[in-house]
Amino acid sequence: MIRFDHIEVRFGEHTAIPKLNLEVKQGEFFTLLGPSGCGKTTALRTLAGFIEPTKGEIYIDGQAATKLPSEKRSVGMVFQNYALFPSMSVYENIAFGLKVRKTKKIQTGALVAEIAGQVELTSEQLSKNVSELSGGQQQRVAIARALVLKPRILLLDEPLSNLDAKLRVQLREQLKNLQRELGITTVYVTHDQEEALTMSDRIAVFNHGVVEQVGTPEEIYNRSSTEFVCTFVGAMNKLSSELVQRLQHGGGTALHPNKASYLRLEKVSLQPPTNAAGSIRLEGIVTERSYHGAHSTYTIDCSGSMIRALVPEGGAAPLPPGSRAELHIDPSSILQY
Amino acid sequence: MRTSSWRSMLRSPLVVIVALVTVWFIATFLIFPNATLLIGTFFPDGQLSFRAFEKLASSERAMNSLWHSFLLAGTLAVTVNVVGIFIVLVTDYFAIRGARVLWLGYATTLIYGGIVLAAGYNFIYGRYGFVTNAVGNWFPDIDRDWFSGYFAVVVVMTLATTTNHMLFLGSSLAKIDYQTIEAARNMGAGTLRILWRIVLPALRPMIFAVTVLTFLTGLGALTAPIVLGGTDFQTIAPMILTFSKSSSSQDLAALLAIILGLATIVLLAMMNRAEKSGVYFSVAKVATPLQKQKIPNQVTNGVVHVLAYALFVVYATPVLLIVLFSFLDSTAILRGMITWDALTLDNYATVFGTPSVLRPFVVSVVYSALASAIVVIGMLFVARVLQKYRNPVTGLLEYLLHIPWILPTILIALALVMTFDRPQALVGGQVLTGTTSLLLVAYIIVKIPFTLRLLKAAFASVPESLEDAARILGAGSMFTLRKVLFPLVIPTAAAITALNFNSLLDDYDAAVFLYHPLYQPLGIAIKASTEGENNLDSMSITFVYTVLLMIIMGLAMYLVYGRSGAATRRARRRASRG
Repeated sequence: MIRFDHIEVRFGEHTAIPKLNLEVKQGEFFTLLGPSGCGKTTALRTLAGFIEPTKGEIYIDGQAATKLPSEKRSVGMVFQNYALFPSMSVYENIAFGLKVRKTKKIQTGALVAEIAGQVELTSEQLSKNVSELSGGQQQRVAIARALVLKPRILLLDEPLSNLDAKLRVQLREQLKNLQRELGITTVYVTHDQEEALTMSDRIAVFNHGVVEQVGTPEEIYNRSSTEFVCTFVGAMNKLSSELVQRLQHGGGTALHPNKASYLRLEKVSLQPPTNAAGSIRLEGIVTERSYHGAHSTYTIDCSGSMIRALVPEGGAAPLPPGSRAELHIDPSSILQY
Repeated sequence: MRTSSWRSMLRSPLVVIVALVTVWFIATFLIFPNATLLIGTFFPDGQLSFRAFEKLASSERAMNSLWHSFLLAGTLAVTVNVVGIFIVLVTDYFAIRGARVLWLGYATTLIYGGIVLAAGYNFIYGRYGFVTNAVGNWFPDIDRDWFSGYFAVVVVMTLATTTNHMLFLGSSLAKIDYQTIEAARNMGAGTLRILWRIVLPALRPMIFAVTVLTFLTGLGALTAPIVLGGTDFQTIAPMILTFSKSSSSQDLAALLAIILGLATIVLLAMMNRAEKSGVYFSVAKVATPLQKQKIPNQVTNGVVHVLAYALFVVYATPVLLIVLFSFLDSTAILRGMITWDALTLDNYATVFGTPSVLRPFVVSVVYSALASAIVVIGMLFVARVLQKYRNPVTGLLEYLLHIPWILPTILIALALVMTFDRPQALVGGQVLTGTTSLLLVAYIIVKIPFTLRLLKAAFASVPESLEDAARILGAGSMFTLRKVLFPLVIPTAAAITALNFNSLLDDYDAAVFLYHPLYQPLGIAIKASTEGENNLDSMSITFVYTVLLMIIMGLAMYLVYGRSGAATRRARRRASRG
């Protein structure tokens, strides 16, 4: 459906993207994930036609699209700040693209009403000025405006970043449902790993303009192929070489003490596992407990090596700081780079 | 996609037309006349000559005018800062009773200035002024010229020039993060120490900028020295005007204008440098709005209140008298006596009922409206092109369009007169000097930098993503300009038009060089009314003109600043409650 073929983007002396090769499948919810300045928005804007790559080719449906102006690429875009036209009403904003295409008024009205219903905008809201709407409602207008022209591809540039936490969770579910209903190929840019993991079919993790890994959320999280992906996605314990050596002696023979070693917090158990085979037991002293509602995070001092563990609430009684703790670690869940 | 390639500019016919017209205008009216002036001064016979310098050195009047100009500029730099900072503090910083009323009194100079203000003071305190006449009734031996020369010019220009402080220093003060003041108080600092160590240092860059502007205003002063300076206190600008009238001394006029221009360029360069290294106002992500400070010491509080209201009287009296005198006949003013019977609407009837009397007013309104509209419409397109296409070509054009900002109006006017007094190919072989069009051209020229800067800022403040959004939805550049960008910058354009219109309405500096004898603008008519006792009848008419000007300018200022000011005050009240 979409293919970035050896794309290079330079701004003067600065190379934002050195060489990008990427494929997005038809109907897929594909996320470009990475920290600020990693090149993910540049890649999206290049796909939209706002930036002309210095090298390479972009293909949409097998057709070279690099030289096509953005309006000819059949892409709809939702901007980070929504980019709603402040001098126009909600209706006029959504109908803007139809007006440019000289669509008849009756047809415009029907199309606007249809898409407004899909994104849950009321007819009363349609007559308001965009400045009178809340952030969440403005975001719906931006999505409606992008979708009303029935594009083949929907581009979303951090569309949830300006919303509060609760609304963000609510809207990402609605956005994902809408995408599934319409079956539209969607490219989503975010720096929020949770957003990426919950919404995407596949994720490309960017770092300094380079794609470090492409995979499903599970692959990215559990089988991070690079140290950057491993540390960027999810919370991690970085294990000291002394601790790795102890684990090696305790049964983790495949571990290399000289490699950087990481262990996810939820892979550290404070209860003996039901199947203890292969599990290594350590002892330590609880130095801190942070309560998060559904779970707690413990920091445990294991003979000088600090290990954090994520423990769901509702199980055993909480361990106060200073108490002794038993840790159970499966060496196969340790990631080494 | 933002593009910086100048070749991509050439793909749009609109951009090509805008670029061609801009290049022609810059070459014809910004570069060519000033080059002609320089060549005429230093290469009068095709060879380098310093004859103008020799003439300047040997002319006592010219040398005196140079000294007087720098003396006036230096004096104003001190007096205007003292009065201006005091005004800003009592209206915006300290909790003074009736601060809104005080502000209105001090703001009177926003709605009348230049020749109108100088003439107003002359009619009240001058040789034939009402106050001088009234005092003369009791003390016949009074020196009737008591309000003239250096003293009178400094007083009038000090009061007139504090507008910069009110507009710019006032807004800088509002940007100070109130939490810095609270932090200082929390650490035990008193009111005076906070003012001296926290507030004034934060305002220092703006104080420096308004000082430079004040110095420049003093250096190029024309109307106040002409009307109130008398024979003993003439400055550079009136001398340029005098010398330019004779062909034998035109080179001297040009040299004085060039000196004025160079001084302006040097001072503005200093200001730009200071701006770049300046300390800015708030490092807080969310600055807390400033709240007014009480003066805890009762005696100090009382003294500040008395001084604030005394200054209010000084500012408001001329305005009130002008309004009053506009209903009086000139003989009552001459007698220095006001009786109930002498108050009539006759002056207004004369102005509106006599076409020849109304004519200067109409001429000025037409010139100001035309120039304001043309410059704003033209700069809307130029600003858009400059903002969209950033490359060396547009960068150079932008610099050149700022030429009028660094050159005094008198220099621009003189250069136009000396250049277009013969057929010039760049304007189709026409002679423009002596026509009605040259003054219009001058007005457009002087308003370009201000208009361009603000419109470019207005375009720059429109998020780039709006254009991207319009583009991805299929809108062309003209459609985007018309439907998305113009609606957003039009409020700024309207405000600029109103401000330009205001400032041109009572212009004297350009008009005195360029006006058509049959179409005298208001500034020229008002100046004529100040000349000697024979013109006393026109004095009353001038008062009517002044009242009309104040109404128009007051309305324009309200439309531009009034509503946003009210919104700011509401926000401040909410903050102080919250």
